[in-house]
Amino acid sequence: MKIGTYLLWAAMAVGTGLIVLLGYFVQIDQIPADGLIRNIFELRLLIMRWAVLLAAVSLGIGLFNMFLVHWMKVSEQRTGWKYSAVLIVTFLVTLTLGLIFGPDSRVVLFLFNSIQLPVETSLSALLAVTLSMAGFRLVAQRKDLISLVFVGTALIVLIGSGPGLLSTENLFFGFFAGLRNWLAQVAAAGGARGILLGVALGSIVTGLRVLLAVDRPYGD
Amino acid sequence: MAEIRCPMCSTMNQEAAEVCSNCQARLTPLVADLPPSEQHDSGAEGRTPPQSDANGGNDDWLANIRADAAMGSGVEDHAAEPEEADDAAPDWLGRLREADSSIEEGPPSDKIPDWMGDFIAAGDEATEEEVPEWLSRVRERREAQTEEQPESDEGEDWITRLREDTPDEQPAGLEDLKPSPDDDESIEKPAPQALDLDPPPDLPDTQVPQDDLAGEQVIPSQEAGDIAPSVDSVVDDSPPAMQEPISPDEEVEWFPAPDERELQEAEELLHVPALLDDETGDASAIELSDLNLDSIELPDWLGELKSETPPAAEDEGEGPDLAPATLPSWLEAMRPVDTFRSEIEIEAEEVLPVESAGPLAGLRGVLLAEPVVAMPRSASTAAARLEVTERQYAQGELLQRLVEEEEKEIPPAKAERRRLPLVRWGIAFVLLLAVILPFGFSQLGIEGYAFPSVVSRDLEPLINLISGIPTERPALVVFDYTPGYSGELDMVAGALLEHMVMRSLPIITVSTRPTGPPLAEGLLNKIAAGYGAVNGESYLHLGYLSGGPTAVQLFSIAPRSVVLTGYHLPDSLSEGSVWESPLLQGVQRLSDFNLVVVITAGTDTARTWVEQTHPWIGDTPLVMVLSAGAEPLVRPYFEASEPQVDGILTGLPAAVSYRQYSGLPLETGVQWDAFGMGMLAVELTLIAGGAYGVGLWLLRLRKRR
Amino acid sequence: MSEEAIGLIILLLFVGLLAFFVTIDRRRPATFRSIKGYDSLKGAIERAVEAGERVHLSLGTGSVIGTDSAPALAGLAILTSIAESTTMSDKPVVATTGDGAMAILAQDTLRSVYSEARALHRYSPISGRMLGPTPFSYVANLPILLASEDISVHVLAGSFGAEGALAADFGERQGAFVLAGTDDAQSQALLYATAEHPLIGEEIFAGGAYLNVGRVHRAGLRVQDAVRMIIIAGIVIGAILSLLGVSR
Repeated sequence: MKIGTYLLWAAMAVGTGLIVLLGYFVQIDQIPADGLIRNIFELRLLIMRWAVLLAAVSLGIGLFNMFLVHWMKVSEQRTGWKYSAVLIVTFLVTLTLGLIFGPDSRVVLFLFNSIQLPVETSLSALLAVTLSMAGFRLVAQRKDLISLVFVGTALIVLIGSGPGLLSTENLFFGFFAGLRNWLAQVAAAGGARGILLGVALGSIVTGLRVLLAVDRPYGD
Repeated sequence: MAEIRCPMCSTMNQEAAEVCSNCQARLTPLVADLPPSEQHDSGAEGRTPPQSDANGGNDDWLANIRADAAMGSGVEDHAAEPEEADDAAPDWLGRLREADSSIEEGPPSDKIPDWMGDFIAAGDEATEEEVPEWLSRVRERREAQTEEQPESDEGEDWITRLREDTPDEQPAGLEDLKPSPDDDESIEKPAPQALDLDPPPDLPDTQVPQDDLAGEQVIPSQEAGDIAPSVDSVVDDSPPAMQEPISPDEEVEWFPAPDERELQEAEELLHVPALLDDETGDASAIELSDLNLDSIELPDWLGELKSETPPAAEDEGEGPDLAPATLPSWLEAMRPVDTFRSEIEIEAEEVLPVESAGPLAGLRGVLLAEPVVAMPRSASTAAARLEVTERQYAQGELLQRLVEEEEKEIPPAKAERRRLPLVRWGIAFVLLLAVILPFGFSQLGIEGYAFPSVVSRDLEPLINLISGIPTERPALVVFDYTPGYSGELDMVAGALLEHMVMRSLPIITVSTRPTGPPLAEGLLNKIAAGYGAVNGESYLHLGYLSGGPTAVQLFSIAPRSVVLTGYHLPDSLSEGSVWESPLLQGVQRLSDFNLVVVITAGTDTARTWVEQTHPWIGDTPLVMVLSAGAEPLVRPYFEASEPQVDGILTGLPAAVSYRQYSGLPLETGVQWDAFGMGMLAVELTLIAGGAYGVGLWLLRLRKRR
Repeated sequence: MSEEAIGLIILLLFVGLLAFFVTIDRRRPATFRSIKGYDSLKGAIERAVEAGERVHLSLGTGSVIGTDSAPALAGLAILTSIAESTTMSDKPVVATTGDGAMAILAQDTLRSVYSEARALHRYSPISGRMLGPTPFSYVANLPILLASEDISVHVLAGSFGAEGALAADFGERQGAFVLAGTDDAQSQALLYATAEHPLIGEEIFAGGAYLNVGRVHRAGLRVQDAVRMIIIAGIVIGAILSLLGVSR
């Protein structure tokens, strides 16, 4: 890409980012009906609507990209091309049905409730098995105190969350329930807040790098 | 038996062998009485054939040698070998003629071999008018030092006499010069006669040492004139005793093994005078044809020999201005073995062609590629055979194998046999069994888990909130979770939604995920069926809200501008806008809703709705229905001094409690038991894994100790 | 002072600190603690390149619009570093996402790297792709990708939910080197249990600095540390004042 074009993209990215960002520091009530600030605020709204539109369009582009990847896999008959062929067929069938009958038609809802919903729910169940397996071998793999604390905390929260090892009527269930609440609302919440603060700082710096055109994820 | 080392391949051969058993190189050199074209290096051969037969019978042997050499062939195979020597013509004799008296090079040692001393002594007896001054000096010194030598009879074979005095053992260098037993018949063995140089009568017989300085190709010349520069350096040495001349009838042994003293003296004589003619500057004296004997002051007996020099060299006409240097024999002996010899003649500059093209145009003396590069060379048979050691052979085989393997198609490596994940399968089986088993509790007569008796302190405010919401305005329910979490959240949110439907609270659904609207339709359809609620009258779907947090903020500000069409609208609204529905009358912004309920499994989505709607939600309560994992990060919004979240419902236990205390039907008995059994299975798995890990840890600690 | 003004001041503080640390980066280079995951990542990538295997980077299931875009942008910085290392490999890096816009950004990032390396002919648009529009559908495609593309390095750097644990587990079962990081604390706990090299907290945002993507990345990490110290000081002071009974 030529230098001139790169500068244009960078200028657009920086300009729109600054307009949207500054809009957060201006209250609507304080914006006079006329004036530059009002115009900037309205421009910000316009840009945000464009962003909403672009997000929907990018979903379509991503689906097209996914289709292309699997199409090339089938045409070149690479490893696993049969699964890609099934995906392409179901993709086209669902798309066709959705275009014909509409996304909220009974047919599409039937496909959703019969295929996608059970599949994703099963994957979520698989997550339970995966996490159980991970918890089982965590101490054996890492062999450190933190792993032991990790597993012990998980055990306490599980016991205090509901019936299981101890019924809710058990004498000790209340103790574990209280301990669980303390762990979740004090220790975990405090730690999570610290993580959130750090994540927020990282997000701010990452966003600033994009706003200042240092990071150019849109390419050079 | 003594052995001869092959000059080409250094293989040891029998002394009598004529050719090498390995490379077929000639071991015994031919006599150098060859045409100029076949002459190679004067240093290698440098043998001047006997020029004349001035002394009658004394010259016979020399003449015979010349004749034999003329019939010989393949001289160039032996040209480079310092050890090789003609088996007939005495090399030293040729060099005697070629040597220039003015050459400074000479024997490096002050000592001269015995035979040279004898010769010098014999030369003293030459006519006075023919004896050069230097020779006379030498003779004088010799006379003073040496013993009276017996007179040599004319025709007496001084070489034979020398040979008699030398030991039988021949040095390595001279072995090659001896004729092998399998001599070529065309080459006659030279008779051990006196020099064909017409030595003076009083010339004592000298015995030519066998070992000519260990590898010297040319025996130091006995020509007095040739050794003039060096004689002075050697006259101090006591000349060895002259020996009886060898009889012609004796077997020709030109170089009988010298005694140790002679060997030592011979070794000290490492070179012969360079054969450079000062007067004419002729080419190397090794070229017999180029030899101009006229320029050399020779004694009579040598002069006669000179006259017999083939005139071929004189016919060459113009020669180079610079006479090529003649290498001494000892230096020549150091010449590396080279099969290919190129002959380059240096011409005078005037005759050199002028370069006509290229960057060197106009210059003389430009090296021509053709005569040098393209010079025809005849390969020797020895070059065709390589001496390959075992290691080299092995390496060659390895290389060939490598090359062959490159062309072979390697069969695909079999995939490693994967170990079966038995532990994973076992845990999955246990979990599956745990959640399936409660479905048979009733049949099995097993009492399940009791419902929670302890109510969370968060529950009562929520129940009161929902119970007190006015039903004039609709409630917004956000379905922001994926189908994967529907197993948990449908149960948790179902309790709240059922309560709302039970109270006939209008419900408006929206989602920022594409899969949200179908989930909303499925859940509400299931709940509404029990209460007679109808789509379009009791609840309505706004559909998918694209844009993430941006869309949430825009929706909060102006929902009508963001959502244009609905989802799964009733027939009455199919042709119009969703905002035309009576349920949405008066709704212009987020704060116009009675209640906002956000159902989500992710903390980010929950925080997004909290943070983005806060400026525009006004007094509308915000309730969070969450997965158990998201509670820690959302609870701070609920427990803040100025809470931004007005109600929170997390996890299945809370939902079961909500049903218990809101008066909703408890139809979750089986799910509650399955939930409990599953929790039990997971807890036992964690306990087992922890115990296994700790046990392994302790075992390893023990092993280390 | 209104919240907006405070926010603006904080923003200017960030910008000022960033410029300051960029300026002094050469004279006083930063020294960061070792993060095992990043240290091991370089060696793993080298081994993958030498063995003719592929590196896979997952940018998560979050969208480019929203808070879940920040870890994805951090993942793009890591992608830049990985792509530079694998440009001339037989099997260059593959970046996958659960969002269409993020897939386009991944493609642009890869194209820039190839362009800088003057190997634009080796760039393939499908090297940045979307695997699925929903988190679990994205994860469902991962095992096929890991098996068919000979993935030996599996990096998760983006916004993940609970499905991130599945993604990491698939990599572990493949025997790949797994480095996983996200911004969600809940998901980080799951990744700690399932990934070989988890990134805890905001370590995912340190990827650009640890992988030497640029000076600004190192400066950005120092800005985070500096502001973090300020926040800690503010929390401690506020807690002390609160204990002493000093109200707002």
